[in-house]
Parts: sequence; C-alpha cells; structure tokens
Amino acid sequence: MAGRRVVIVGVASHWGAELARRLERDPGIEYLGGIDLEPPPADLERTDYVEADIRSPLLSRLLPGMEPDTIVHCGILWYPESGRPARVLHDVNVIGTLQLLAACERTPTLERLVVRGSAAIYGCEGATPSFFTEGMARTLPLRTRFQRDVSELEAYIDNFARRHPGLACCTLRYQPEIGPDLDTPIVRYLELPVVPVQLGWDPRLQFLHSDDANGALEAATRSSVRGPVNVAPSGAISLSHILRLARRPALPIPHQLFGMALERLGRRLGAGPLYGDGVRMLRFGRGVDNERLVTDVGYRPRFDAEEAIRDFAAKSTGRRIGPSLHPGDLVGRFSGAVR
Amino acid sequence: MSAHAAADPPQAPAEAVAEFLRRMRVGIEGGLDPVTAANRAADELPQRLAHVVQLLSRRVRGEYHEDEWGFDEEFAEAVYPLFEFLYEVWWRVEAEGVLNVPAHGRALLVSNHAGALFPFDASMILLSIMKRHPLPRWARFLVLDWAFLLPFLSAFMRRVGGVPASKHNAARLLEQDELVMVFPEGAKGTGKQFSERYRLQRFGRGGFVEIALRTGAPIVPVAVVGSEEIYPKLGDATPLARAVGAPFVPLTPTFPWLGPLGLVPLPSKWRIEFCEPIDVSEHGPDAAEDRRLLFDLSEQVRETIQAKLYENLVKRRAAFVTPL
Repeated sequence: MAGRRVVIVGVASHWGAELARRLERDPGIEYLGGIDLEPPPADLERTDYVEADIRSPLLSRLLPGMEPDTIVHCGILWYPESGRPARVLHDVNVIGTLQLLAACERTPTLERLVVRGSAAIYGCEGATPSFFTEGMARTLPLRTRFQRDVSELEAYIDNFARRHPGLACCTLRYQPEIGPDLDTPIVRYLELPVVPVQLGWDPRLQFLHSDDANGALEAATRSSVRGPVNVAPSGAISLSHILRLARRPALPIPHQLFGMALERLGRRLGAGPLYGDGVRMLRFGRGVDNERLVTDVGYRPRFDAEEAIRDFAAKSTGRRIGPSLHPGDLVGRFSGAVR
Repeated sequence: MSAHAAADPPQAPAEAVAEFLRRMRVGIEGGLDPVTAANRAADELPQRLAHVVQLLSRRVRGEYHEDEWGFDEEFAEAVYPLFEFLYEVWWRVEAEGVLNVPAHGRALLVSNHAGALFPFDASMILLSIMKRHPLPRWARFLVLDWAFLLPFLSAFMRRVGGVPASKHNAARLLEQDELVMVFPEGAKGTGKQFSERYRLQRFGRGGFVEIALRTGAPIVPVAVVGSEEIYPKLGDATPLARAVGAPFVPLTPTFPWLGPLGLVPLPSKWRIEFCEPIDVSEHGPDAAEDRRLLFDLSEQVRETIQAKLYENLVKRRAAFVTPL
C-alpha cells in the first residue's frame, strides 16, 4: 500500500467524502485527490480538491496530471441530489462514466479502477433467483430508466476492462443503504409516520448498513479484485417485518395507485417520491448473494439484513408526526400487565 | 401486514375476548383511562389468553425470526391447523414410507403434480412429514413462477416455505441442507385434463437431476394419489387465461359456475407414498454435465413414480366413497 496515489471522483458525495476521510488517516497513501463539481466537506484536510465536471472532456487533461494509480468512481447517482436534478442523472451516470473511462485511458500510471455501482442492474421481478450472484445480470428485461443506465455503464466498464487486461477494474453492485444520518428517498420513506405499502405484497429486501457501505468501499479500494461484486448484507428481511421493527404502521394501497399515493403523501410530509426502481423493489423485492464480497474482497458485513434494520430503528430519530401510531407500542403497554 | 397479524392465534376463545372487552368498557365507564382499564382487564384473563396476547404483542413488535428465504416458522405453525383439517378430515390422507425421507441433511423430494386450481399436493406431502415422521422437519417447495406474480398468494407461499422455481434457488437450499420438494411436471401436470389423470407428463428437461448431482442430494420419489380428483379439470377457459396471463384457467364441475364455492376442493381419498431414496452422489458433481445420465436418471425417477401411482390407485379403491 506504500506510496499509493488515489483519486476519488465524486468526492463531495456522502460516500466519496467518507472514503476520503478514511483514506486520509492512512499514512500509506501518498496522495489523495478529489474531483467533483462542488467542494467536499470542510473536514477533509489533505485531500487535493479539483473542481471539474465529470461530463466534460476536460477530465482527460486533468486526470493524467494527478498521476493516480487508483481511481474510485463515486459519482453515480441513484436519485437527484443538490445541484443535480433528475434530468441530468443519465448524463452524469452514462456520459460521465464514459468521459472518466476516456480519461483513464490517457492515464498511464493507473493500476486500479473501482466503480461504486448499483444492484439495480438485476432489476426486481416476481419470480427470479432469490439471491442473485454476479453472473446473473442482464438475464432479465431492463425495465426502468436507472436499470438501463446502470446496465449501459457496466457494459462500458466491461469493455474497458477487456481492452486493458493490466488494469484491475471492479464494479461494486450496492443494495440500497440505510442509516439514521442518510438522506435518501428510501430512508425518508421508512421514516414516514404511516408507511404506504402495496396491498398484498410483502417484498424480501436487503438494506445495507451505512457503516458496511463505507467499509466495503474502502476494502474494495485496497484490494485488487476484478469484475462485479455484490455489496449487500447477509440474509434478507421482509418489508412487513421491517415496519414492525421500526414501529411504523403500514398503509396498504393497491399497487396501481402506490406510486402516485407515495408521491402525494411524500410531498406533504417532505419525503418525496421514490426514484429508480424503488416502487418495483417495494413490490417484488430483491436479494443478492454477497459471497464474493466476503471471500474475494475480504469484507464481511458487520450487520445482517435484520440487524441493519434494528440498528436503524434504534438510532433513527425519525420525523414522526404526533404520537406513535404503531399497535406494537400500544400492545406493549398492555402485555406488561399480563406477564 | 394486518392480514398476517390477524391470522396468528386463531385458537383464542371468542368468549374470552368478549369478556376482556366487557371488563375494559366497565373500567372506562368507571372513570379509568383506556390503558389502565386494559391493564386491569388483562389481569383477570385466563392464562391461555394471556399467552395469546403475549404472542400477538411480540409479533406486532417484530420480535420473531424469518430466514433469508422469508420462511416464517411461527406463521407456518399458525396456519397449520387449517391444513391439518384438510389432511385428517377432508382428504383422509394415508402416508406410507415416510421413513424414506432423511431425518437430517439435504434431500430432494420429487413428486407428481396435480390439482388444477390450487395444487395442494405440496402442502399434504409437507404435512405427512410433519405428522408421521419421527423427526419432523419443514420442507421447502419450489413454486411455479407465475404464482409469485400474484399479490397475497406470493406473500403467503413465501412465509410457509415456498420459493420461486429456479435452479439457483433449489441448489442454494440444498447446499443449506434443507429438504426441497420439486414437481418436474410443472404446469403441464396441473393443467392436464381429468381423463389424463395419473399419467405423468414430461419431466421438464431433467433439471432436478442436475441439481441433485451437483449438490450430491439423494432423490426421494413421491407418488401422490387423490390430488387429481380435487378439481377435475374438464375444460379450458383459454381467453381468460390469456387475459390474466395465467398458464391456464381450468373449468371444473364447480368452477367457475358456483362462484367462490367452486374453489372448495372435492373430498377425495388420498394416499402418499415415499419411495426408496436414490443416491446419486456416486456420480460426482461433474456428472451434472452429462445429458445422457440426466435423462436416464430422470426417466428412472419418472417410471418409479408412475408404477407407484398405479399401485396406490389400486390400494386406494374408490376415489370418493370409502367402502366399509
């Protein structure tokens, strides 16, 4: 690890900044660079911030000058962020990745490329393998915009990796992360006082604890694993179980009306709609197998699917409106008397 | 989900609940706040109901275990009595050779498939193991993909041990040393005409043998007699099937003519026989690539089941009336 030069693309994002924080503490890293449109959080001390747009060809001139041996791409957007509205997602994800790969081709010092992608590439279907392994991508139709984007950019990365066999390219396929300090559509959804669910559906889900999301990214940056790697907790948990553990009453809505209802309710309470394949995921669910992460990357998630939810429920202050409406809190009071 | 919680402890006597509510009302009318009134009323409940309340409160707070497939043992136990009724009273199931099911470790149960509207054969095989085996264990079963595209049914099946039919799922379950049930005939078995009953259809592409070879799991052939008569399929509502995307929609003497009543299965007499396990581990996992071996073994299993079906049909005698 001695004398490594790492550049983080998308360093102002939550995950990019956290990775920079972790790598800054490592004396083995000689140089740490960060590229983004906005400046990273102020607490980063030795990260060399370069303001650049990932979509511009300027990247090809900037990147070789930084002489990185490792590039970590944290710039893929799952949902709009500040300064990046929904209409630019495709540009940032696909065109941005293409520009980055073009820049990588002109960087002779490069040895390692890590892309923080998404498990949305597998899609969400009613009847599929309950645990996708890395080889099962693209066996099902691509149904959502985001899924097509992820699939397209992975195709570019595969192609790039094939043309540069000396370069260890790795795509991390993340399941959605949750954590009390995150501000993502799925976290806001789970923090609604009454959570709309789709009538008759109870998907199996995997939400990744944010500590594990950071740990896996760091481990992958340090390793030299090639190809796609699923990043997910072990096990799976159903939505009904999640809502019970988080003490949120469910509001069943026929699935045809679900997206609209969630948008209305979300706008009222400040949660916003679900982006990407969120609505499909809350109907059919998705499970991925994390064996490659454990054996090849060498990172074992500290929280399994249920523990991640328990931790989230315990730490989440929530934006609960009024008293708790969940029957568990009411029944809990009675059962004390019965015991 | 609310339906889930309601289905949990049906054994609570309704009178006790009414009594609880009456005491609570008396308490509130006496000037207590609702929580204290409920506490007082709960104090006087009999032990059994107290247990039910505790279970319910634990469930509603999410303090229960689900495995990674979504199988929820407590839920399965809660719906068990309903299937027990079907097993004991409705279909008078007789099970033979249950000891051929290994008490632990992986095994693949392969059975014929029938019952046009709802194939109940998986649940009855599962119950025979739970009721008759000296070391009962829950079996998992592979379910036709289409069922996992339906609301309610998909959630229910998953909780009681169903998984979407996929080679990957079957192999993963067997690697976890589970007992897995497969129906290689698939929709061809359930969708055949009543006149074709007990004639085994093609066994897919022999995928179940491939999984057994790869995981070294013994194959236990199972013959189920009685399942063909529960919904005698006389015709096809093809346009309807096309409209809803179902593999087929059967017409039976009662469905859809009697509306929801047509969903009640006929009370035929059932016999289930578990045959000698076939050990395939001697071939080694690489033999899974050998097409000819796959077809040979698949055919061997198919013939075993077919022969046992005829044998048990004779032993069962009349389908509906049990002669004295």
